[in-house]
Amino acid sequence: MSQQTLADKVGVTRQTIFAIEKDKYSPSLEVAFKISNVFKTSLEDVFTYD
Amino acid sequence: MNMSFKEKSLIASLGTTFLIFGWYLYGAFSNLPLNPELPGFVEIIILLVLVAVLESIIQSFLSIMNKTQLEDERDKLIEKISYRNSYWFLSVCIWFLMVQILLDTRFDNHLILTTPYGMFHFLLLFFVLSNLIGFVTQLYYYRKGV
Repeated sequence: MSQQTLADKVGVTRQTIFAIEKDKYSPSLEVAFKISNVFKTSLEDVFTYD
Repeated sequence: MNMSFKEKSLIASLGTTFLIFGWYLYGAFSNLPLNPELPGFVEIIILLVLVAVLESIIQSFLSIMNKTQLEDERDKLIEKISYRNSYWFLSVCIWFLMVQILLDTRFDNHLILTTPYGMFHFLLLFFVLSNLIGFVTQLYYYRKGV
């Protein structure tokens, strides 16, 4: 899935998806849940807390 | 370079603010003690209104054309941080100006800074600088991350 497709599904910009991937932005809970919903997986499988 | 529309528009705003006000303030401060008028101030206001209108037209046009989101929670967060920095800078500058006015009244110094012309332009300079600090802060956080 491309960054743009994910961004469109989640309702953020492609640059925000890029920033999340590069660990330059911690998304809100709402966006985090939306991303995990897109991948049909749990939040812990997508995000980890360091 | 992976730049969002917001970042590009920030760079454009930074450039136009710097050019327009830089040109105006340079002219104003070069003859600060002499000129009691506001040379070209009306033109600057008209120019700024035109730039703002043009910017919003381009923004609306792009959002219709692209059908993608131009702003999200990350942009809002970065904007909030930049407002905080601008606010602190402006507060310090306003206090500085207030102390100058107080000293002038108390000791009858008649500084250039506290003449109506000088005060107007220093206030304008502080507003412009705080605006520029806001733009630079936003660009910094877009690069560094939040």
